[in-house]
Amino acid sequence: MELLTVRNLNIEFCDTQPPTRVASGVSFSIKEGEILGIVGESGSGKTQTALSVLRLLKDHAAVSSGEILYRGKNLLQSTQAEMRQIRGKEIGMIFQEPMTSLNPVLTIGEQLEEGLKLHTKDTPGQRREKVLELMREVELPEPESLYGKYPHQLSGGMRQRAMIAAALVTDPALLIADEPTTALDVTIQVQILKLLKRINRTRRTAILFISHDLGVVRYLCGRVAVMNRGEIVESGPVSQVLENPQEAYTKRLIGAIPNRRLSLRRAQRADWQTKARKLPAGNVLEAEHISASYHEGKKGKEVLRDITFQVRENEILGLVGESGCGKSTLSKVLLGFVETDSGTVVHHTERPQMVFQDPYSSLNPGKKVSWILEEPLRMQKIPKAERKRRVLEMAGKVGLTREQIDRYPGELSGGQRQRVSIGTALIQGSKFLIADEPVSALDVTIQKQIMELILQLQEELQLSILFISHDLNVIYQMCDRVMVMKEGQIVEQKETEELFSDPESEYTKELLRATLA
Amino acid sequence: MRTGKKNLNFILGMAITAFMLAFLLIGVFYTPYDPDAMDGAAKYAAPSLAHLFGCDHFGRDIFSRVMKGTGTTFFVAALSILLGGTAGVLTGAFTGYFGGWLDEILMRVNDAIVSFPSILLALVFISALGPGKYNVILALGIVFIPSFARITRSNFLSQKEMDYVKSARLMGDSHLRIMFIHILPNVLPSILSMAAIGFNNAVLAEAGMSYLGIGVQPPDASLGRMLSETQAYLMSAPWCAVFPGLAVILLALGFSFLSDGILGKGKAPGADA
Repeated sequence: MELLTVRNLNIEFCDTQPPTRVASGVSFSIKEGEILGIVGESGSGKTQTALSVLRLLKDHAAVSSGEILYRGKNLLQSTQAEMRQIRGKEIGMIFQEPMTSLNPVLTIGEQLEEGLKLHTKDTPGQRREKVLELMREVELPEPESLYGKYPHQLSGGMRQRAMIAAALVTDPALLIADEPTTALDVTIQVQILKLLKRINRTRRTAILFISHDLGVVRYLCGRVAVMNRGEIVESGPVSQVLENPQEAYTKRLIGAIPNRRLSLRRAQRADWQTKARKLPAGNVLEAEHISASYHEGKKGKEVLRDITFQVRENEILGLVGESGCGKSTLSKVLLGFVETDSGTVVHHTERPQMVFQDPYSSLNPGKKVSWILEEPLRMQKIPKAERKRRVLEMAGKVGLTREQIDRYPGELSGGQRQRVSIGTALIQGSKFLIADEPVSALDVTIQKQIMELILQLQEELQLSILFISHDLNVIYQMCDRVMVMKEGQIVEQKETEELFSDPESEYTKELLRATLA
Repeated sequence: MRTGKKNLNFILGMAITAFMLAFLLIGVFYTPYDPDAMDGAAKYAAPSLAHLFGCDHFGRDIFSRVMKGTGTTFFVAALSILLGGTAGVLTGAFTGYFGGWLDEILMRVNDAIVSFPSILLALVFISALGPGKYNVILALGIVFIPSFARITRSNFLSQKEMDYVKSARLMGDSHLRIMFIHILPNVLPSILSMAAIGFNNAVLAEAGMSYLGIGVQPPDASLGRMLSETQAYLMSAPWCAVFPGLAVILLALGFSFLSDGILGKGKAPGADA
């Protein structure tokens, strides 16, 4: 039986003139006990669609037409009182950010009990019993002691389990999950997905799963709907849509996902070999026995332990690891932002430059792009006419138009901003680049363009790049060699192909298993 | 996001402020009568075509005096904001950007200044420095430093963590260049709005101090002085107080709207209001 049916849904943002359509003619349905994935890039309208089901749209967004039927009842015509009975009790929701979606001043137990307080007449004793049982079900360790703890005392994965428990406490028939694993490390992500799968099987809870990640959708969902610019362009069983896509957009989306069938880098290097170029074997950077720690008061926390590696000329060296493993600290050490406790860093190039992850904070919002690109040259006291010429030249290299560099960063898309970042890093003529998660904040189709741009510039300008990422697929596509980092140590360091086909350390194997290729 | 309401604030603020500026600028070059000339025959004259705002107890033309007084009040307020703002922004920028012991010391001094009611503190400075226009400016300027320092410091604290600052350092920018060329423009909307609020307080403080007789000294006309001098005749000749009072209100109101408008118009990401 259909549990939820959405028909011809149109959503508009009314704060612009004319109103912006964020969802147009969206139709889908979920049967009881089914998992439906809605996949799309940022701005495709997937989150707004999900929120509209619970009538949780922001004030400036409104459903202009369409039907949302839950068990045959049109939710769009329900009163607020009726909606309160449905939210939480019939339809639960979990969000992307486990950090902000739990209330920091209430204990985990209190937050899990909330749903029971609202929707049942259970006594406090019964509530506690139910909550503890649920915490065991979502595999939270030591439920009795966690019960009285606060969200900040839990790890990201545990918080997301607590969120899931909070949504499940009233045993809803439908769970809406909006990018629930996006903020998590890959090894944790896989655990959470397994948990959702098990809940779906044992409780027959239907799940509406919103994600940008086709790999995750393939793993979890039975059916998938692909959304682009507010419209569902293609839908059907996951295997059919992903293996045999019909629409151009779906094909493009699938084609952009980093995979391990063919490395972009190897494709490029094969090209090199035909040109019979010799790779120089010199080093641009030598790091020996680096240790570093953060000090808070008198307590020091060691974040890097005895790290030794070299970056060779003309190579892309990958650095992969989960959040908190110390990869960003390592990059700060190499750039001189963080002091080492011991060890040496020797640079054989002038001024390494950096491309940052977040294209929204790495560009000064108050300056025009042309100003930002020109700034490094001003530091070198280059005459104005020469500066202008080189700015235009670099803009061309990174694929920005004259008109785009005349705008402010806020008026550019994420991908365009990342092009500006790359251009700014290269304009001084640096030969060594540290790229810290340069494509993680981007949609897959844009991600691919930026990856190709970096590879192209690498060859053209003979760059050495330390490429930091949490995504093994991206690393596979981009790098010549890879270092795997765990808890401040490098556990494995190998040629890319070798690492992926023949991993040595347990941790690398675990990472590879967790990566949804 | 630009919404209609905030733009309306900005437009209204601009209109009132422009009107008052025009009023006082004309007053610099031309007043219908000599603002200090006494006309025995026109004592307590009610508003008429000859004396638009009437005359005071010495028979001086109130319209001319309001023109001059608005100028004085504006001059005092603007200079004290410029003084306090410059010192405050510099303090806030250095403490916020560098942190450390300098930050600790300057911010504790700041706290000490803030712990006194501002008008009381200004009175203390005046009693030490003696009354007079320039001493009022100095006293008010010092009083305004902490609020500017605070807001600049908190904005610098959040901005310096942004990647664009790291990026600028990697390119070899000096700290001073990063502070004033890269960060400051992003913090400016908050500072401007603070300046508009501060300007209001300065207008009211100048009026208040002159009212108490420790501000602008005769024969200079100031709106506050005019209010205090004519207090005794409020019932018999209300125009003597009403028009200077109106000028104070309009000056303050204009900048009030402006500050709301500026904050609504553009704010750097991560900047505090």
